[in-house]
Amino acid sequence: MRTRTVLVVGGCLLMAYAVVGAATDADLTPGGVLFFLAAVLVGHDVVWMAAVLAVGAALTRVPLRHRPKVRIAAITAAAVVVVGLPLALGFGRSADNASALPLSYGRNLVAVLLGIAGTTLLACVLPTRPGRAAAQDRKKSARPSGRGPVPPGR
Amino acid sequence: MVRHPDSPVTGRATVLRRLARWCLAPLPAPPVALRRGPMRPGSFRSRLRSTRLTSQLGTALGVAFGVCFVTGLLSHLIQHPPGWFWWPSRPVGLYRVTQGLHVATGLASVPLLGAKLWSVYPRLFSWPPARSMAHAAERAGTGVLVAATLFLLVSGLLNISRWYAPMPFFFTAGHYWVAWLAVGGLLVHIGVQLPAVRAALTRPVREPRQDGLSRRTLLGGVAAASGLITLTTVGQTVRPLTGLAVLAPRHPGTGPQGLPVNRTADGAGVRAAALDPAYRLRVTGPDRSVSLDLAALDGLPQYTADLPIACVEGWSATARWTGVRLGDVAALVGADPRRSTAIVESLQVGGRYRACTVPPEHVRDPLTLVALRVGGEPLHLDHGYPARLIAPNRPGVLQTKWISQITVRESR
Repeated sequence: MRTRTVLVVGGCLLMAYAVVGAATDADLTPGGVLFFLAAVLVGHDVVWMAAVLAVGAALTRVPLRHRPKVRIAAITAAAVVVVGLPLALGFGRSADNASALPLSYGRNLVAVLLGIAGTTLLACVLPTRPGRAAAQDRKKSARPSGRGPVPPGR
Repeated sequence: MVRHPDSPVTGRATVLRRLARWCLAPLPAPPVALRRGPMRPGSFRSRLRSTRLTSQLGTALGVAFGVCFVTGLLSHLIQHPPGWFWWPSRPVGLYRVTQGLHVATGLASVPLLGAKLWSVYPRLFSWPPARSMAHAAERAGTGVLVAATLFLLVSGLLNISRWYAPMPFFFTAGHYWVAWLAVGGLLVHIGVQLPAVRAALTRPVREPRQDGLSRRTLLGGVAAASGLITLTTVGQTVRPLTGLAVLAPRHPGTGPQGLPVNRTADGAGVRAAALDPAYRLRVTGPDRSVSLDLAALDGLPQYTADLPIACVEGWSATARWTGVRLGDVAALVGADPRRSTAIVESLQVGGRYRACTVPPEHVRDPLTLVALRVGGEPLHLDHGYPARLIAPNRPGVLQTKWISQITVRESR
């Protein structure tokens, strides 16, 4: 209990330090920071998660034996798109500085996504080793079904 | 006298007890008619979500954010050193490692944060929204933590992509203060969730396979996504992986004289002044002042050093620099280089990074140069012609280009 109290009180103090620091920093417009905080929160919770859940629901149509691989591929592709999209859009390019964003990021992003798709296709097409399949089946039958515990957070 | 266990001992204890009671008192339940959409029971059906999955992702994310926070704080302290702070000039490439790690870890955190927030997304719609004031405060704190972590990753991504228009604030200051907010929120979150996390990580559980995807497979997938992002970006600072860095914002060998540029001469507005034949480097010290043209600088003893430019944006590139030792320049004006601080100013008229302070440990380091050449050629205008500072173990923004003035002060 003591550890938890220290963590909570310490965390509240650090948050207060952040708020006071941001409010008194001459280089910062707190309104802009608050707007961006709200924008990324709403953008994630409303727009991004809705898209993720929709894609997840669509993937339930994939045959069961391929579904895990396709889901992993979708997670990887989504993460790569988040990182690569600001580069591919190229708004940060500058006419007088060819060394900043020097690559063709749109083409490279598509190539990486095709690589993910190709690897997934291969994983789905190539036969699973018999020993591994049997082990997976044993594991599956050993696990009871039922609702998992409620996750913490949020 | 026998004291009743619940009787007030002091006034302060009574107030605290009342406050605790008020915080934990159940709030009236909202009308059930409002329980719609994702708040209805059974709206989220994936059985892959579990306390164990969330705890494992949270632990990994906590480590990643810890690394980002420490390395980011270090970078801030190097750029804005308080009186107590000391940063050595060796090892030469320490800053390139810490800042490279900062950006690489931030990028690798993208799938981790995505998976963590997915695993707890149903909690956003838990019913009732607030059971008590304490519960409402905890949820508000978690909201701040989520917003702050998203802020850090999105603003960091936009920064390395050099896309500042979507950020209505000065990136460096915003990123710094929100990092404190995130770390504070993280500590509170750990404090609140510690028993649940401990239980989830220590007790073995039997979990159902949902649509054939197990928790371990999901964790493996998230790790693979982090690995792929690292592999396609980290070559901007890890030279052997440059060939794989197809999504890296910089390539170490791409740029004038084989070196990337952050701020160009035109961007800084110094082209005319830098190319002016009347250029002089003014050096002011405790005993005298001197004014050196390029020929005079060339006439001083020249030294060569292999040093990296290590940018705060996470890229770095090593080059062979030739020029005059800053310590020799300090000695020219009667200062003792072993205990001198130098203020190096650029030809730039304004801007946050037009000047920097070089502490004694860097002034006396023989590798700290007023560089005139790179790779054996005179500096390209975008690399700081006619003269620039290059010192070991410093951020690129403190390697002042287009030097016009050096003021040397002896420390007491």
